[in-house]
Amino acid sequence: MSDERQIAAMPRPEPWRDTGYWGPTDPDAHPAVRAIREQFPDAYIDAYSFRDEMTVRVERPRYRDVIQFLRDHPDLQYTMLSDETAVDMLRLRDDPRFDVVAQLYSLRRRQRLRVKTGVNDGELVPSLVPVFAAAGWLEREIYDMFGIVFEGHPDLRRILLPEDWDEGHPLRKDYPLRGYREYVQPGFEAPAPRVRSRLRRP
Amino acid sequence: MGVIENRFEHNILTTTVDAVFNWARRSSLWWLQFGLACCAIEMISAAMPRFDMAERFGMLYRASPRQADLMIVAGTVTKKMAPVVRQLYDQMADPKWVISMGSCANVGGPFDTYAVVQGVDQVIPVDVYVPGCPPLPEALYYGVLELQNRVIKYDTIAKKQGVEAAEADRVRAREEAQAALGVRR
Amino acid sequence: MSLEITEPTPVIISEERQVSDTRRELVLNMGPQHPSTHGVLRVRLTLEGETITGCDPVIGYLHRGVEKLGESKRYAQFVPWTDRTDYVAAPSNNLGYVLTVEKLLGIEAPERAQYWRMIMAELARLASHLVWLGTHALDIGALSMSLYCFREREMILDIFEKFCGARLTTNMMEIGGFSRPIPPDLPDMIRDFLAVFPKRQREYEDMLSANPIWLARTRGVGVIEPDVAINYGLTGACLRGSGVNYDVRKAQPYLFYDRVDFEVPLGTHGDVYDRYLVRMEEMRQSLKIIQQCLDQVPTDGPLKLAESNYVIPPHDTVLTTAEDMQRHFIWVIKGFSPPKGEVYLAIEHSKGELGHYIVSDGSPIPYRLRIRTPDFVNLQSLPYMAEGAMLADVVALIGTIDIVLGSVDR
Repeated sequence: MSDERQIAAMPRPEPWRDTGYWGPTDPDAHPAVRAIREQFPDAYIDAYSFRDEMTVRVERPRYRDVIQFLRDHPDLQYTMLSDETAVDMLRLRDDPRFDVVAQLYSLRRRQRLRVKTGVNDGELVPSLVPVFAAAGWLEREIYDMFGIVFEGHPDLRRILLPEDWDEGHPLRKDYPLRGYREYVQPGFEAPAPRVRSRLRRP
Repeated sequence: MGVIENRFEHNILTTTVDAVFNWARRSSLWWLQFGLACCAIEMISAAMPRFDMAERFGMLYRASPRQADLMIVAGTVTKKMAPVVRQLYDQMADPKWVISMGSCANVGGPFDTYAVVQGVDQVIPVDVYVPGCPPLPEALYYGVLELQNRVIKYDTIAKKQGVEAAEADRVRAREEAQAALGVRR
Repeated sequence: MSLEITEPTPVIISEERQVSDTRRELVLNMGPQHPSTHGVLRVRLTLEGETITGCDPVIGYLHRGVEKLGESKRYAQFVPWTDRTDYVAAPSNNLGYVLTVEKLLGIEAPERAQYWRMIMAELARLASHLVWLGTHALDIGALSMSLYCFREREMILDIFEKFCGARLTTNMMEIGGFSRPIPPDLPDMIRDFLAVFPKRQREYEDMLSANPIWLARTRGVGVIEPDVAINYGLTGACLRGSGVNYDVRKAQPYLFYDRVDFEVPLGTHGDVYDRYLVRMEEMRQSLKIIQQCLDQVPTDGPLKLAESNYVIPPHDTVLTTAEDMQRHFIWVIKGFSPPKGEVYLAIEHSKGELGHYIVSDGSPIPYRLRIRTPDFVNLQSLPYMAEGAMLADVVALIGTIDIVLGSVDR
């Protein structure tokens, strides 16, 4: 018990920095970054770390190949796709507009890695479904929310919004939070009148 | 009443058929087992042993809308779900009542977004609103008791004043609603 | 409300069609209003006789735009919405979000707060597993299980209510620790619960574990092989039921999970019954963790990181010192500006890996807030499990994934 107290009393040097959950924080020392740089010299853009997390940016056409390589490499073994999502970079940079982000996890080595690629509106991203079955719904969600089209996805439909949703893709930055119109019941032409009391703010 | 008063044994009570029906309706409100979101968990808690709403008020949850008298809209009604809610309401047999449980069903709650209908009363008529996010089971009790007070007074205009009066009332309500709607798009 | 009578739009689509001379298939719609879909899940099943040949889950009936809301709220303001994504284990969701923001800010809560976070998260895991067990058994036919499970769940909800005043949507955690003091009799309440619960859990196991009906409905149903489970990205009991050892609490410990002693139960067959056993054992391990935390937690000490600019100053100094009053004013009116960067942090939720991915552009509002919910990814394996199974197994399969639709649709 006293040992535990001592451990508890010691302040951690820098929180969230030296966990090692994402491998070395130096990109040059990170094995996955080095392997990508050797294997795909044309596709590798850059790698950087924040806190303990390592992010690799790659070119869009080789996105799937890089992730397949990371999965199949015997020393890396990123065998699990934790998450795939997108970020609309409209207010942060001009080109390309979206980032598609994949969070990989290696069950054997207990390390994570983030792989990013940029895509513009109207361009195709190679789908990860042939590599990870988990990507199926995640990419459908990205298509639904951002309108990014994945090449090679077997079943790219809307998933969360109604199939006949005609108001665009809500997680884009130029889409208003409250949408473009109120709910109109089928068979009606206008939304139901709202009952507003005097206490309610206009 | 006067004609048959004091002509029977003591245990006999005379009343109208309507009153008996309403008493029965009030005492056995069967509700549609239909949860939408967080409030559904509190609704289940209310039906479970500690609060025991189901047995205490003679309520029973039915999975089929055809057998239900009461719809408790427990949770957020999204734009994708709203037609389904409407269809379930249309499938319920008259007379039917609706309790809107929780802020989301009342006014949209904290979700003022593109995907959420701002209040289930835009879709179906609501009798009792229960506030809270989510309401405690006790709050749902109070809503149910309020609804029972309403059910015991249930009466149709057609029965009181004839079918024509009911039709006239319906037309008037529709014109009022259209006037409130303003010019159609 | 307009009183116009309109024809209801048909939503339910069921049809029967002749595929060939000898084969007929039926497209059957299940949900969104169905007693055993745990909310508003809708599944379109293609049947041949009673065998399922196709399964298409339709989700989104509870899509409320939480991620979009997160991009319009300040960091500290968003915590109440995390409750409402997975409402049966709200403290775990608070924890995931708050830890991610703390990682972005580079701060850590004091030791006492960390221990209490662990206790609350484990209690939330118990509450969530009790809801799962009750509804799962109810779907398969054991109605009385739900009555028993909700009885014990009320004890946990009483603890939450004592701690923060709310039963379900607790909103209990804050960036940097807790604002509220720990009620003095709370540890005793939790100890009482710890003393009672193992007996009650044995009651459940007496009822289910060797019950022939339960075995017939769960054994050999919905088998997922380990490599398929990894490929589908399953986490939580769905993955561990197949025998893959992945628990974020062990693999990448957060809080003080490296200081407590617990085991990760693993299944061998990967069927519904194994996942049931795994979750039952997880409940026992949670009790063990709570017991150790109660023994280790300091009885007094700060509950909040008071000196950081990112954290709301404590109430008493706000009223007495000028600096803290100014800090408080700025914190409330403008919020705080975290460093630019992006973080992804996963915690072990009761259903699996709950990840939050936050992209910060240096403003007080998250630029992008992504919630990776475990059941959204886990539900994807439903077609894999259902195809070739019987129609009656679908309710067992939906129950075993342990979905909460608020978390699936966000």
